[in-house]
Amino acid sequence: MALKLKANAAPTRQALLNAVNYHVEVTLAKNPQSAELEDYQLALALAIRQPILHAMNATEARVREANAKQIHYLSMEFLIGRLLANNLRNLKLYDVCAEAASDLGLDLADILETEVDPALGNGGLGRLAACFLDSLASLSYPGYGYGINYQYGLFRQSFANGFQREQPDNWAAHGTPWQIERREQSSMIPIYGRVDAAMDEHGHFNPHWMEWKSLIGVPSDVPVVGYGGHCVNFLRLYSARAPGEFDMAIFNGGDYLRAMEQQVQVETVSKVLYPSDSAAAGRELRFIQEYFFVACAMRDIFRRHHATGAPIEEFGNRNALQLNDTHPAMAVAELMRTLVDEHDLPWEQAWQITRQSTAYTNHTLLPEALEKWPVALFERVLPRHLDIVYEVNRRFLEEVDARYPGDTERLRRMSIVQEWPHKEIRMAHLAIVGSHSVNGVAEMHSELVKSQLVPDFYELWPDRFNNKTNGVTPRRWLLNCNHRLANLITEAIGPKWAADLELLAELAPMAKNSSFLHQFQKVKLQNKTDLVQKVREATGVTIDPASMFDVQIKRVHEYKRQLLNALHIMHLYLRLKEDNVALPTPKTFIFSGKAAPGYALAKLIIKLINNIARLVNGDRAINQQLRVVFYPDYKVSVAEAIVPAADLSEQISTAGYEASGTGNMKLAMNGALTIGTLDGANVEIAREVGRKNIYIFGHTADEVILARQTGDAARLVYESNADVRRVIDQLAAGRFSPEDPGLFAPIVQSLLDHGDYYMHLADFADYAAKHEQAAGDFNNHRAWAARALVNVARSAHFSSDRTIREYADQIWDLKQVI
Amino acid sequence: MVLEDHAEGDFLVVSLKDKRLDAVIASNFREAMVERIDRGQQKIVLDLSGVLFLDSSGLGAVVAVLKHVGARGCLHLCGVTPAVMAVLKLTRMDRVFKTYPTREAALAA
Repeated sequence: MALKLKANAAPTRQALLNAVNYHVEVTLAKNPQSAELEDYQLALALAIRQPILHAMNATEARVREANAKQIHYLSMEFLIGRLLANNLRNLKLYDVCAEAASDLGLDLADILETEVDPALGNGGLGRLAACFLDSLASLSYPGYGYGINYQYGLFRQSFANGFQREQPDNWAAHGTPWQIERREQSSMIPIYGRVDAAMDEHGHFNPHWMEWKSLIGVPSDVPVVGYGGHCVNFLRLYSARAPGEFDMAIFNGGDYLRAMEQQVQVETVSKVLYPSDSAAAGRELRFIQEYFFVACAMRDIFRRHHATGAPIEEFGNRNALQLNDTHPAMAVAELMRTLVDEHDLPWEQAWQITRQSTAYTNHTLLPEALEKWPVALFERVLPRHLDIVYEVNRRFLEEVDARYPGDTERLRRMSIVQEWPHKEIRMAHLAIVGSHSVNGVAEMHSELVKSQLVPDFYELWPDRFNNKTNGVTPRRWLLNCNHRLANLITEAIGPKWAADLELLAELAPMAKNSSFLHQFQKVKLQNKTDLVQKVREATGVTIDPASMFDVQIKRVHEYKRQLLNALHIMHLYLRLKEDNVALPTPKTFIFSGKAAPGYALAKLIIKLINNIARLVNGDRAINQQLRVVFYPDYKVSVAEAIVPAADLSEQISTAGYEASGTGNMKLAMNGALTIGTLDGANVEIAREVGRKNIYIFGHTADEVILARQTGDAARLVYESNADVRRVIDQLAAGRFSPEDPGLFAPIVQSLLDHGDYYMHLADFADYAAKHEQAAGDFNNHRAWAARALVNVARSAHFSSDRTIREYADQIWDLKQVI
Repeated sequence: MVLEDHAEGDFLVVSLKDKRLDAVIASNFREAMVERIDRGQQKIVLDLSGVLFLDSSGLGAVVAVLKHVGARGCLHLCGVTPAVMAVLKLTRMDRVFKTYPTREAALAA
């Protein structure tokens, strides 16, 4: 009986069965009679890991042979999601595995459901990185991710009386079959210490970094299986370890606890993922995390570069580094330090290589969200790097001064070092100065980066700025998460679309095909029925699959305006209760998302939505028309369940605040119509699907700026719009918090007394009108389905394959290695 | 900590037999080397071919030895392993110490 799968041949049902049984009985030492679903999940992963690792080695050999340039994607977060199902899809082994599972009397879907979701990211930025890795491998580009192997991912969310509660997520507590530790490729990373000014034997200035402390970065590789399984790249995640098991000097001195404390302190570096929206400034551990993974990555990239035999001068021709936001911006200083200090290159040559290699992706338009680190912290933790940053800045400001003589105000604005009110290092400026490319993540966002965020830099280097609209991988976000729709598409246009999403355009004519539309509607209804079950299990609430599923799933933040959605639901509730006006169609509002633990108002918005849900769902007079659920603990696998079932996609951020969004793309790709503002990639979705097939509302980004200048728009709306006034008054009076009538006062105050910065009230009327229109349209099921199908057919622009091709051609100069 | 030494010509060749030159042994190492220098051994070849880990305390000890030798003599390092050389480069100390691939090369310099 063959116990291992052959490397280069698709395994048979029997071969898979044998391999799984082998791993259950031998590797896991379980009795097949008592083995649980989780054991089979692990055994199946171990069975298919073997051909995956073989393909990974073969891929590396091809890249080596081709002497190909490589892209190294540096990101603090990789929100990879569950891997087994996705790998089975990409290996095209899903169906044969399902057969093998049935031979065991099991359902593959049940087995897959037991996999833990690695929560190694907060949201969009981390998920984007994961989609990019999928596309790099699927397109056979030599591209690798570098990040941190957080022991605790983003917190697990639960609700207690509607309030968010956070629990630690020790996601890999039971190990994971998808990480291969490469202890032999560990790196020593120094931090702290001081720089001593000294001269070398030739009388040249030779500063020494002394009295540093050591961290050891231990890499673990997660294979990234490209579609078809030919190319398997890897994501390399680093754990921080103490240099020895613990400091034996202290241990021998009898102070066991102190020795252990030191070890724990070091290992804290990779312990926990920081939630977004937490104040980053002053957080030394976060600063060390950023440096730690960048330094580990750079060591590894140099090691691999040297292994090719290429000279150091060739580094920039062989390696591209993409900085996913400013978190890895220290790469600029680390690259310079390595080239100047360790390879003795002259500064100018090192700088040329650094700029040639490095590119930076901006993800935010909020100036206050751009990272800055106190100089005092920088100096204490990375004294040598601070010297380098100062020298980079000195030379940069000379360049600015030569271009704009005497413009000291411009020098102050552009300097990497902020002098006032606190002396800080501006990481975005460091990233821009040290990169040959600066890109935004949607057309509108990229324009705002140039015109509003860093206009001085754009004026200085206009050619450096470009746009790369985000994308999502159609393998995970259609083929895998929505297999019914995927099968329907494949029946209609063949299977090649999963590797070439442009082919979905062939679906457009089917919008006039009754039989196809019927099938399309049936798929949606089945997906919604699946979700009904999951919602019931997660929340105890039963929802009606025939109702319109209106979905808002994303991080909870004021600018994303879950509150606007909630205000509108309150409005619908009051119309039903007070005005006896029936809704055009029954609606189910589905929310999911986490608020940062320290973000009080966002957490209060969650409580508000949960209170609305309790009130609405419990009211028999109206709950056949209106239901509200907040699906707890949002993560990739939750999104994979909700996205295929959505009818209406809420993308309602205040215009000018959402850089791109990717949830909007996933939902459109799965046949949800969007209700949204002209923000981020919504603008491109509207262009691709046509204005007939999307509901656009609200102030534009320019209008938002104008409205803020013209005074208290919120108060005016409150006074002039009776619907708004009723909702706010009822909220303030405790209608939605009878046990604590003043509970939501901070929300009311933010809207009426603090100027409603995110324009909820100013956009309310248009939003409600578009909802009314959408609800009416939904009643014409066939027409709705036709428009939903157009959204699917025109989603090629939102494939991360398209995005990655653009990065490869226009930024990285990267070639495929077939 | 284990140091082995023997004279070769004008040099005292000292081999550190520990795999780690770190905070645990740095102080003893420095004292033992200073004692040899103070006994009149001004020209020293330090064989580090067995050392796989050097931390900042260990490096500080080697720097202290170099300073103690001063202009009176010389300190040559040989057999520096890649991990230790990485630390020397990282701190730019490779430009301070004279390093040689082998003991013979260090003696001939």
